[in-house]
Amino acid sequence: MRHVALQPDEIQGKPLTEPVLLILMSLAAQPRHGYALIKDIETLSSHRVRLSTGTLYGALRRLLDDLWIARFEQEDTSRDKQAYRLTTEGRRQLQMELERLKQLTRLGMARLRVTEV
Amino acid sequence: MLLGMYPKDHRAWFAAEMQSVFEESAQEHRKRGGARYLRFLLAECAGLVGGLGGAWAAKLTRGAYTHHPQLVRPSPATALPQEVQEAQDRVTIHLNSLLHAISHHDFVKARTCAAEEQKAREDLRLLRARYGIAE
Repeated sequence: MRHVALQPDEIQGKPLTEPVLLILMSLAAQPRHGYALIKDIETLSSHRVRLSTGTLYGALRRLLDDLWIARFEQEDTSRDKQAYRLTTEGRRQLQMELERLKQLTRLGMARLRVTEV
Repeated sequence: MLLGMYPKDHRAWFAAEMQSVFEESAQEHRKRGGARYLRFLLAECAGLVGGLGGAWAAKLTRGAYTHHPQLVRPSPATALPQEVQEAQDRVTIHLNSLLHAISHHDFVKARTCAAEEQKAREDLRLLRARYGIAE
């Protein structure tokens, strides 16, 4: 097996975990608070994924630290209904991940077609 | 009770929200019957335990949350463009990470943080130049 070392400009970030990917996708449409995120992610995943509170806020904390999301202040924001929005960096990271998945899907489908022949 | 075991700064930031989300979700699952509700509670406990480990790991490696209130307060009307504000926030975040690494004698990590901070400053300088904002 040939080992290929990636050049620094070819190194991309690690693949995103599914909870992080779904959170970014949900916020790409509009800012949302915690419960709205859980419900939208259920819809996005066709009810396959339901994030628990601990998992959601663990991911939100990391995304806030990395500045991929930010708190979204509204006039009527109460402490328990805090909404979050995607930042420019978060949008860029989501785009990169979706491109990566698109490429992977394309390769996978091509291989399936080859083996079917 | 599980929430009480999270780091103090995590509780300060998220306790009210987590409680509210849990209560809304619990209400929804109660309507679906006893078995579904029990499964929900077990999943929530497992999630909280997992999140607890992650929160303490983050606190020990990154220190207190660097996204302090000054970074997330609503922007006043005369504020900088959002892109510039976010770039400023990134510089502050990387600087805090650098200081945290140095204070913990993690000089390998400090080198990485220094490089990231420098890049963030350069990005900020370019953005300010684009918007015609003085340093």
